[in-house]
Amino acid sequence: MRIEPEQMWSYFEWLFYHYGLLQGVLVAVALAALGFIACYLISMARYGPGEGFYHVTRVIYELLARDLPRTSMRRIYALGRLAFQEAIRRRVLVVMAVFIVGVLFAGWFLDPSSDNVARLYISFVMTGTSYLVLLLGLFLSCFSLPADIKSKTIQTITTKPVRCTEIVIGRILGFTAVGTLLLAGMAFLSYQFVSRGINHEHEVKDMASDGMSGTTSYDAKHQHQFELIENEDGSMGGTTDEQKGHRHEVVVRDVDGQRVVTLGKPEGLLGARIPVFGSLQITDRSGNVGSGLNVGYESEYQKYIEGNSLMSAIWTFDGVYPGRFGGGDSLPLELSLKAFRTYKGDIVTGVQGEIILKNPDGRVESERRGFVVKEFAVDHIEIPRKISGSRDGQPVEVDIFDDLVSEDGQLQVVVRCKDNGQYFGMAQPDLYLRAGDSTFGWNMFKGFLGIWMQMVLVICLGVMFSTFLSGPVAMVATMTCLMLGFFGNLALDVATGDLPGGGPIESLIRMPLQTGAMVDLDLGNEVLETVIKGADQGIMYTLVSVFQAIPRFGQFNTADFVAYGFNISGGLVARHLTMTLAYFLLTSLIAYFFLKTRELAAA
Amino acid sequence: MSASTVAEAENKASPATASDVVIETRNLGKIYRDFWGRKKVAALKALDIEVLKGEIFGLLGPNGSGKSTTIKLIQGLLFPTSGRAFVFGKDARDVTKNERIGYLPEESYLYKFLNAEETLDFYGRLFDMPAELRRERSEQLIKMVGLQHARRRQLKEYSKGMTRRIGLAQALINEPDLLILDEPTTGMDPIGSREMKDLIVRLRDEGKTILMCSHQLADVQDVCDRVAILHQGELRELGRVDSLLKVRDVTEVHTTQLSDATKAKIADLIRAEGGKVISMDNPTTTMEELFLDIVQDDRPGQRPSSKPAT
Repeated sequence: MRIEPEQMWSYFEWLFYHYGLLQGVLVAVALAALGFIACYLISMARYGPGEGFYHVTRVIYELLARDLPRTSMRRIYALGRLAFQEAIRRRVLVVMAVFIVGVLFAGWFLDPSSDNVARLYISFVMTGTSYLVLLLGLFLSCFSLPADIKSKTIQTITTKPVRCTEIVIGRILGFTAVGTLLLAGMAFLSYQFVSRGINHEHEVKDMASDGMSGTTSYDAKHQHQFELIENEDGSMGGTTDEQKGHRHEVVVRDVDGQRVVTLGKPEGLLGARIPVFGSLQITDRSGNVGSGLNVGYESEYQKYIEGNSLMSAIWTFDGVYPGRFGGGDSLPLELSLKAFRTYKGDIVTGVQGEIILKNPDGRVESERRGFVVKEFAVDHIEIPRKISGSRDGQPVEVDIFDDLVSEDGQLQVVVRCKDNGQYFGMAQPDLYLRAGDSTFGWNMFKGFLGIWMQMVLVICLGVMFSTFLSGPVAMVATMTCLMLGFFGNLALDVATGDLPGGGPIESLIRMPLQTGAMVDLDLGNEVLETVIKGADQGIMYTLVSVFQAIPRFGQFNTADFVAYGFNISGGLVARHLTMTLAYFLLTSLIAYFFLKTRELAAA
Repeated sequence: MSASTVAEAENKASPATASDVVIETRNLGKIYRDFWGRKKVAALKALDIEVLKGEIFGLLGPNGSGKSTTIKLIQGLLFPTSGRAFVFGKDARDVTKNERIGYLPEESYLYKFLNAEETLDFYGRLFDMPAELRRERSEQLIKMVGLQHARRRQLKEYSKGMTRRIGLAQALINEPDLLILDEPTTGMDPIGSREMKDLIVRLRDEGKTILMCSHQLADVQDVCDRVAILHQGELRELGRVDSLLKVRDVTEVHTTQLSDATKAKIADLIRAEGGKVISMDNPTTTMEELFLDIVQDDRPGQRPSSKPAT
């Protein structure tokens, strides 16, 4: 799983430090200005410059002075309820039936021998739910208003004291209520499907002659080995080895003088670990702050450090307090680093590294703790609170929270690669402190909340487009936004010119001429080239503006967090909710203007 | 028309004050254009009318004469190309005017998946009416339009006449001061049509103003106080129905129990005074009256009792 840097920001970091608020305001102002100009031009063509200006400003005045202040919750509720009833009586519950059938037969197709069954099951239900609910939102929102306009039922509404704000908001809320109802049902079924689907039990198949180890039965396409240990109170117990991402507790009981060994439920399959992310700094070969090496991959996501050199990766964590880590008996940290080998080396042992905990003041640090990198897996390291270390170069026993954490709660974790000629690759989220676990059910709820927000955005866009387009055209427009929202990065790269080959006109010319994308366009006419590039700049600038205004649906998808067992932070949820609310307001406003200036009886 | 109605109508002939004017159009015009903004048709040309408080005003004209366009312009469903329309002194596009208006569209454009109770409750909510009042009004109106037996049936199961009735009920949910009726008797059988006309007159008597458009000439003649006749988007005639229909050089006398001899004497007298007897015969009733006389009491079901409460 790839966690993007912006997914680690806290809510206020995003809002103020990373200009989330400013961006939102700028988009709103830019759209308002563009909208005003467009409306004025249309109105001017229809009524002339003076009267056109009067009409546009009157609509703005009516919004602010009349329609907004007099918007009635009862009317919004009535219109929302109507949209809800309409959807239900048009049998949208069929979607639920489709989902139930899908879940019923999913067991036939999902491979229980997969390395991580939970991930497979979670990805399946959340992806399935997401597609169904987004399609539902798309169809409901795009066709309802045009159908009302076509059948003229809208005329019995607009001839009542109903504001356009109420029509727009009522519809959005009504369809959202339908979608929420269905999504809640799907989420509940999904939870049941996942938690029951992956649940399994083993029995003890073989016990060693000394009775201290054994093998479990082969169930759910795997079996475990286990060893028993004697506890301080004299009782026996233990856990199995890890298979397919989980273990079982082994319990030994005495029943009528007979020793009975039983195995508990699978543990570790459904988790929601709470990561504390830090900031990453990489030092270069001379030990100074650098930017890390690129070992030749196109992706710049991970940077590499060279083994057996002064290169190191330093994570600085904030807010490291014992209370955050289950009382502070130990400091759990998890890492999933990449290893890049320049020679085969010892393939069994793996590439070795070391971890040092440091106080940011530089005076106190822990001893070097060796580890072997686990590729494509998360390595869990539990560092005891009191460990050997040094203070001002003198060896002492150090306490992580008292000595290594600075007064303002900061701790540094330094990672180095020990093997000469081998490299470690890492990104900022690849090492984190694990501040306990949240519950899986709550995390799954937050994952579904992400799908819900995507659905709301689709409904907002669908209703907005349906105020001035016919149903099918509104659906195409909404789907275009959806596609751009999901695959917006590529589109944005094209629009910003980050991808080589020039703008749309230049690319069009390059194709028949079979000109390489990396060489300058040469048509033998400088004026023509300048004109083409100028026009391209204009088109690309417009495209960038449009893409910036389209919600990035992919951002709201937090299913991977649930599937990979990461807690979805409250800050991320709050940010997504804020963005959803902002888009709701923006699309409602645009829809209002279109509806207000439309002759509803002219259709 | 009853004597009292005529008397009231005569009173309305006096000049209207500003507060008496419910609807006013000034030079109201509408040109429909195509996608490219080219003129397609001039549906209404410079209409100037005033509808006064407490009268039934009819818009009369053939198909395409501009009646429905006028009604839509007055309600803000269309935007005028020229001129302006005012309702209760407010611009036609001002939503607040709708608080005092009830509208029955030509085809009763209602939500077919709702039943009668849900329909009235929904429209009541749009007027921001509290739940108790909505229930009360719904009950009254369902009874008034005779749909008690079908109150829980979805509108998609309704006949055209029943749809008109529930359409009328939704138009009255807010006890409007102005009722706008677009072809109110369309799709109704003669009994329903009669009931609708009686109701219109009764509502007028209660002080409401009614603007209706129709091409059923008999309906207009039956109920309207004043009419505007439109043709090809132009106002061709405007005035009181009785005065417009009056044939000034013919005298009509209605009496009872005249013998043939007396009739002959009267005819002689007319001739002696220089007049000309065009006809002297027993009058005929209308087909509507005849039909109603026949079916009113024999018709099965609840029709007689479902007549509008007086």
